[in-house]
Parts: sequence; C-alpha cells; structure tokens
Amino acid sequence: MLNSQALKRDRYIKMLAFLGILIFFGWVILKVENMLVSTLLASVLAYLMGPLVNAIERTGLKRHLAIVTSFVIVGFFLALGITFAAPLISGQLSNFQSDLPKYVEGSARIIRDIESKINSYIVIGDQFDLSSHAQQMIIAVTKSIFEDLPAIISKSVTTILLAPFFTYFLLRDGQSFVRKLLRIVPNSIFELTLSLHHEINDQMGQFVRARLFEALIVGIIVWIGLFALGFPYASVLASFAALANLIPYIGPIIGGVPAVGIAMINGNSSTEILIVILIYGLAQLIDIVFIIPLVVAKIVNLHPITVLVVIIIGAQLMGVTGMLISIPVASALKVTLYSVYQHLTDFRTT
Amino acid sequence: MVKLLWENIFKSDQDESGPTAALRSCPIFSALTHRELKFVSKVIHARTYRPGEAIFTQNEVGLGMYMLVKGTINISIEEFKEDEPPKLVFITRLDPGDFFGEISLVENNGRRTATAIAADEVLVYGFFKPDLNDIAERNPLIGYKIVSKLSEVLGRRLQETARKVALLKKEVLNPTNKI
Repeated sequence: MLNSQALKRDRYIKMLAFLGILIFFGWVILKVENMLVSTLLASVLAYLMGPLVNAIERTGLKRHLAIVTSFVIVGFFLALGITFAAPLISGQLSNFQSDLPKYVEGSARIIRDIESKINSYIVIGDQFDLSSHAQQMIIAVTKSIFEDLPAIISKSVTTILLAPFFTYFLLRDGQSFVRKLLRIVPNSIFELTLSLHHEINDQMGQFVRARLFEALIVGIIVWIGLFALGFPYASVLASFAALANLIPYIGPIIGGVPAVGIAMINGNSSTEILIVILIYGLAQLIDIVFIIPLVVAKIVNLHPITVLVVIIIGAQLMGVTGMLISIPVASALKVTLYSVYQHLTDFRTT
Repeated sequence: MVKLLWENIFKSDQDESGPTAALRSCPIFSALTHRELKFVSKVIHARTYRPGEAIFTQNEVGLGMYMLVKGTINISIEEFKEDEPPKLVFITRLDPGDFFGEISLVENNGRRTATAIAADEVLVYGFFKPDLNDIAERNPLIGYKIVSKLSEVLGRRLQETARKVALLKKEVLNPTNKI
C-alpha cells in the first residue's frame, strides 16, 4: 500500500498542473490582443450552432462534416440577411448622422424646457444650468460613437475573422480537449469536475441561446411596430433595442429612449409618442409574458444592483466592448460560482 | 511534471484498441458494432489509481460507471455501530473485466452505496451520465443500444436482489429452516 503522504503529493502536483494550465489559458485570452472578444464570440457562436451540428450529426454525417454543413447553412442565412439588411441599416445610419445636429439641438431644447420648469419652482438658492452641460455631453457622446465606430469596426475585422475559426475548433475538438484536460485532474475531484463542466456548459448554452432569442423577438416586434407607424430609422432603432435588451432590467429602457427622444424632437403629437412607447411596452410585455417563462426562466438572473455595478466595471475596464460583454461574463461567473457551491455542498458528504 | 503533462495532454490517443477492447468485453456495450465502439471510446475517460486510493467513497454523489482493465479493486461498505467510529467491511474483490457503479447512469444525484478502493496499481475506464447524454444527442441509435443493455443488466441485478431478499425474509421468519 502506498502511504497517504505519497498520494497527497501526487494529488497536489496534479492539482497544480491543472490550475496552471487554466491560468495560462486565462492569461493568453486576457493578454493577447483581440483574443478575449474572439474567444467570447466564438463561444457564443459555438453555443448557438451546437444544437444544429448535433442535429446534422444525427443524420449519420461525421462530426467535422456536420460542422462544415452548419457553417454553410448559417453562412447562407447570414449572407442573405446582410444583403437585405446592410444597405437599409447603413442608409438609415448615414441619414441619422447627417440629422445629428438637429437632434442634439432638439434634445438640448427639451432639457432647457425641463430646466426652466424646475427653476420656476425653485425660488431660493442656485439655479440649475443643466442644458449647457447636457448639450456638451450629448455632443461628446454622439461624436465619440461616430468617430470611434470606424476604429471599432476595423478592430472587429480581426475578431470577426478569428471567431469562426475558433468556433470550428471549439465544436470539433472542444470535448476532446476538455477530456484531455480532465486527465490531470486529481482522482478525488474528478467526477465533481466532470459534472461541474457539464453543468456550466449546459447553463451557459441555455443562457446564450435564450438571451439572443429574446433579443431577436424584441427587435422584430419593435421593427414591425415602428415600420407600420412609418417612423424614421426603424431598422436602426429595432437593432439597437434588440442589442440593448441583452442588458437585463435597464436594457429595455435604454433601448426605448432614442425612439421616444426622436419622436419628441421631431415634434410628433403626444398620441404618436404614446404609440411609440406602447410599441416598446408591447415588445417588453410579450417578452415578460411569453418568452421569459418559456425560454429564460431556468437561467440564473442577476440582481439589478449587480447589473449596474457590473456594467460600470465593464465600462471602466474596456469601454463600450466592456459594457456589452460585462453582463454575459458576470452571468457566466455567477453560473460557475453557483454550480461550484452547489456541487461542493452536495457532491461529497465527507 | 513534464512527464505528467506529456502523458496526459500532449500525447495523442495512439492506442485506441485499449478502450475499444475494454468496451467490447463489457455487457453494457455488447450490442455495439466496431464503429460504434470506436465512437464511444472517444468519450470514455481512462483513470489510473495508486494502491490505497479511493475510486469513489460511500455516500458521495455518483456520476457513472467504471470498467476495470488492470489491477484489483476492493469493494467495502461502512458499518455503523453505536459509540464506535464507522468501520469499513470488505464485501468483494473486483478483477479485470468487471464493471461497477452502473446504477449511477440512471439515477439522479444518486449516492454511492459502497466504497471502491484500489488494491494495487489500477487502470479503469469511466463512462458517465453526461457522456451518455452526449452520445444520445449525437447518435441516438448508440444511446438506445447502451440504455437497452443497461436496463437488462439492472433488471438482472434487481431480480437477483429480489431473490436474495426473499431468501433472507424466509430465513428471518423461519430461523429453523437453514438456507
């Protein structure tokens, strides 16, 4: 019999090697340029395409051929979507850019009105000077969005090229890589680690698919509503609403603000403004009543305060990209910690 | 450390005949064709244990079954007596070709009913519930064949247990009648 000292030593070496490899990969992902976003995008794509690849594999095709077929199918629909949507969205975007001074002035006017109303109520003390600050801020933000956009897009080209490449290998070799990594996990925690890996993988897959499906439905409803109303920039606003919807709690509000603002600046009647609000409200109602209970309910949600803090941290660390990826990353961390805790309390009794 | 990394991560699975042969000898995979066995061999996990090391311990959550390829394993259960620390009572010894823990493949968070400890240097192939789910999703026919054979094995074990319980009951109710 081997003494327990030797077994312990063996266990520590394996544990160190396992953690060392995980830390190394984490370091590479964080430190190498474009790697984090590419890896995240590839993971999202792999989670989205996984069920399709499995379905094609069920027909008897080998895994790598099933992946290639999935890429062809997804690529076809993506190309179709880009062909139809890209000219529409880019046209609307350039129109919006040329109309921008009008909207900046309009929003400053609205703020000035609010400011004068507030000042009329305040008799003593300092008077508000909100409008000049707000105007400067709006100009700075919108300018930075349009100025940064080309840089973001050019940077995204590398990411966009790398992501499908990563996705292919994640789908083809992901499981076998995990199996190889699991070989060095100490025997005492092997079953626990394997179970944890599958739990996190399942949860993340469900999370990614459900959130994107939710965003798509909200985007479609908003687009139909705004298009039927003959509202300007319907496609851009619907895309923005869909993207913003990825942020829990405050996302739907952020998504609706530009449309309501545009309606107010354009001098639309209060009935029309109300209809615009109703369209966004209807999208949220359908989301809350049908989509969330059916699709999203199983997913671990984040507390509103956590969402705010996480978005602020994301923005501080990585700007706009940080804001966009902060919620999925935080959700992934929460799922991981939740599963680890549940397993540690449930798996071993001794 | 280098040897550990090389043997576990960087070295390719050149010897696929090992897991395939182990799978073929296990009744749960006996309905699979050679090609299907190769498919399953890519999802099972080879594990090595040192003498005295536990493969699993009683009452911990079990995730799947193991096929013993090399070495011997002692199966014991914990015996509880009042005012005494729990004692491991030897039940049986497993040899190469034996498999154990298969009930975990169908249970939901079921706990191990015994402790398995390596008696010498042991090599086992582990097949776990998430692997079975993965197979069923990617190749339902293989999944069906495995589950069908697994049910047969579990049914047989249940029958055997029922027979033993009946005999024990008879002995308890009629202590004079020796079995």
